[in-house]
Amino acid sequence: MKDKTGKYSLIGSIISSLVVVGIFLGLSLFKNSGRAIPLYTNVDIMAGMLFVFILSIIVSASIWPGIVEKRLK
Amino acid sequence: MKVTIGIFGMTCMHCHKRVTDAISKVKGVKSVDVSLENKGATVDFDESVTNLNAIKKAVTDAGYDVGEKPILKPEPEAQHVASACPVVIKEDKEILEKPVAKHENSASTIITLKISGMTCAACAANIEKVTRKLKGVISSTVNVSVEQASITYEPSLVSQKDIEGAIKSIGYGIVKDKISFDIGGMTCAACAQNIEKVLKKIKGVESVAVNFSLAKAHVEYDSTLVSVADMISAIEGIGYTASGKVDKKESQDRERKAREDEIKKQRSNLIIAVVLGIPISLGDMANMFPNLLWFVPSFLANDRVLFVLTTIIMLFPGRQFFVGTYKGLKHGVTDMNLLIATGTGAAYVVSVAATFLDLGPGYMHTYYETAALLITFIVLGRYLEATTKGKTSEAIRKLIGLAAKTARIIVDGVEKDVPVEDVKVGDIVVMRPGEKLPVDGVVTEGMSAVDESMITGESIPVEKNPGDTVIGSTINKSGSFRFKATKVGSDTALAQIIELVENAQTSKAPIQKIADVVAGHFILAVHMIALLAFFFWFFIGFEAFGVAGSAAFAGVSPFLFSLLISITVLVISCPCAVGLATPAATMVGTGKGAENGILIKGGGPLEMAHKINTIVFDKTGTLTRGEPQLTDVISTASHTEEEVLRMASIAEKGSEHPLGEAIVRGATAHNINAPDADSFKAIAGQGVEAGFGDKRILLGTRKLMSDNGIDAIHLNASMEKMENEGKTAMLIGVDKEAIGIVAVADTLKEHSKEAVDRLYKMGIEVVMITGDNARTASAIAKQVGIDRVLAEVLPQDKANEIKKLQAEGKIVAMVGDGINDAPALTQSDVGIAMGAGTDVAMESAGIVLIKNDLLDVVASIRLSKLTMSKIKQNLFWAFGYNTIGIPLAAGILYPVYHTIIITPALAAAFMAMSSISVTTNSLLMKRSRIK
Repeated sequence: MKDKTGKYSLIGSIISSLVVVGIFLGLSLFKNSGRAIPLYTNVDIMAGMLFVFILSIIVSASIWPGIVEKRLK
Repeated sequence: MKVTIGIFGMTCMHCHKRVTDAISKVKGVKSVDVSLENKGATVDFDESVTNLNAIKKAVTDAGYDVGEKPILKPEPEAQHVASACPVVIKEDKEILEKPVAKHENSASTIITLKISGMTCAACAANIEKVTRKLKGVISSTVNVSVEQASITYEPSLVSQKDIEGAIKSIGYGIVKDKISFDIGGMTCAACAQNIEKVLKKIKGVESVAVNFSLAKAHVEYDSTLVSVADMISAIEGIGYTASGKVDKKESQDRERKAREDEIKKQRSNLIIAVVLGIPISLGDMANMFPNLLWFVPSFLANDRVLFVLTTIIMLFPGRQFFVGTYKGLKHGVTDMNLLIATGTGAAYVVSVAATFLDLGPGYMHTYYETAALLITFIVLGRYLEATTKGKTSEAIRKLIGLAAKTARIIVDGVEKDVPVEDVKVGDIVVMRPGEKLPVDGVVTEGMSAVDESMITGESIPVEKNPGDTVIGSTINKSGSFRFKATKVGSDTALAQIIELVENAQTSKAPIQKIADVVAGHFILAVHMIALLAFFFWFFIGFEAFGVAGSAAFAGVSPFLFSLLISITVLVISCPCAVGLATPAATMVGTGKGAENGILIKGGGPLEMAHKINTIVFDKTGTLTRGEPQLTDVISTASHTEEEVLRMASIAEKGSEHPLGEAIVRGATAHNINAPDADSFKAIAGQGVEAGFGDKRILLGTRKLMSDNGIDAIHLNASMEKMENEGKTAMLIGVDKEAIGIVAVADTLKEHSKEAVDRLYKMGIEVVMITGDNARTASAIAKQVGIDRVLAEVLPQDKANEIKKLQAEGKIVAMVGDGINDAPALTQSDVGIAMGAGTDVAMESAGIVLIKNDLLDVVASIRLSKLTMSKIKQNLFWAFGYNTIGIPLAAGILYPVYHTIIITPALAAAFMAMSSISVTTNSLLMKRSRIK
């Protein structure tokens, strides 16, 4: 049970963080599109994605174990 | 028919009365003579009306067992004869006849509870009755000798908590297995939350209270379900260390050493951070303001030099945050370290990347000073916190420091110095002037004055004579004396006080629940806010508010600006201040109480005491001294008062009645040394008759006089006046003449009136409750200044009277000292027991006043008000700080000022100061006066 919770939580956290990172990337590309001079450089986007991933994984790693535990019960 | 039956379980006069009453009530019983000594009763009854079985049933219904013959085998000695059954439950046939379960269905559960406060078979019967009354309880068996209750119940209908609550409601206690762990590695309130969470998950753990400030965890648990080793491994599993407490002194030494080590460690960290942080800040700022900071050597402005210096800070003072974060994350828990690690780590990584990689436009600036100053300020905060944290638990350390280390006892007739741990109950301890008493005891020889101020707060030394009790850790002032040790080790008053204060400091006030809920979700919420702030400034704010074109951030990239905001949000948020707000004030408050002889048994009573608007005083022993004293002597014209008192004293000298003893004591106080009477006879309900020489002295009621042909009509007015004042007046007749009156009454304690006055001034309604008749009660109430009197209240009805007051919407405190007060103390919102009272009363109360002084009731309410106001101030500052700080950090004012109001470094300084301000504010309470 404990192993399952940990495994599912990790998967859930990674997936949800990747989703948030995906949203960040999508929004960045969307804002840059159609501009002669892009607002965000590649460094901005890459660094932003990394930072967003770190914060998202911290948040989701705190939320997912509770959800998984409830579901498994 | 006359029979003698043996009766088991009687231990005191209360039992004696209970059995006598029970048998007397059986129809057909002519007389009953119960003997405690022989453990039996001789009953004379009419066979045509009743039988032996009915009598036996009456005895068993009263809670005792019966046998055919008197039981001569001695029963185990009751620990406190005086502290018999704390409550008498009304008979309930239905309950009594409820069969003890013979079946145990599959859904039932059996629990064994350890019960405290039981003294005799009636207590066991009471518990059985009250538990069987609960819906869902199948059977209940209470064993008084092993002090255990075995209860079978259906968990779907009733919970263990309900059962325990029912037992507690009638004045008994539930003893839980308890252990205190010393916890290592906690850095903030979130750590305490993490440990609580992990322990609460373990089956068998009843309650957990982790005190971050004391670095302790107090756990109540069921040893049949969980072991201490299990709990330690669970704590260690999430990255902390834990050790079960062995000895208070040793534990205190260990704590002191741990605190000193922590202070030393943080001091070294602070020195490194400051020494390196100053050049880093100057160097970094010299890049921005070269004209202003012309004196800064150019090499300090070099990014590679800044990198080296900052890396040293990150590796040494900053390592603790990363190590803490790693340990926490490994076990799925988050704490303050994560906030700091995320903030400083991000600033450092971005700066390193900007130093060594060509990141393009907008990435020329580095943030080494942000990372360095963040760590410097947080380490400063931790250093100051470590130094101030110890001060909140000073009261306990002071108390432990009071204990004597050695004792001089008599061994084989010779005085011998031994360690205090070797003193046993019964040892004779020798005391000389200036020495500290090692244990509690009773004076056997000699006399002295003892300074008890350290325990009772009373500054005047108390005179001690043979028979008086002495308290360990107090100081013998003037004379030499010997005393017999009665309580040693953990049973001494000092040890009990330390345990009580420790438990109180660890327990949580209900108000802390809000703080706990917030602190528990704080770190997650802060990370979410930081993420949202990052998104907002990256996608909306940066462009909308023209950050790139502002003077302060010209050329900065959207990522760096949003990162800066995000870091500031992470760093300014302080769960510590929220987590410390309540426990810091509770610790100082309960500690201050202990120093003043007021023991508050936890956060609950401490919080409730400030809300009370009605206070009920038990009369006898609480408002009054509890023993009658001679108050008036009136003589007729032909006799002197001295003569009257002398005659009364002669008549009562042989009496053991409390009224007689009061007269003899009063005469002695007036230097009248009365000789013994030649003959003495007590006349039930009327008085006494004594022969002295050729004189016949009668002392007693009007009826006694009239029956003996003595005319006392001329003294009637005085008699009535005294009776109206609630006094017991007795006429004295010598031969055929009434020569005067003596009156005795229970007198008020020294500060009763003053305390009542002060309570009225505080806006609290004062009520007196007593079993006395209305006239006596009113007289006492008038003297003390109480308007509302509840008179003629039977002991078992006191709790009901409290209930009635509560039903009027009042928040009631009950002040009492006797066994019969225990249910009322439990029923009241705050029970206050007088220190000279019984153990049962003190167990039932939330506040115990060591000194028998009613002014301490006022002081305890003041202390509660003071502590609550500090808690509220602390919570206001802690919540207010975060409520204001987080939006500011998130850049809410940027659209107005076009700059970041709070930089990450400033945020770190604010964060550090918030927890220090909460602790310091609590410590200020030490200066306040409560008396």
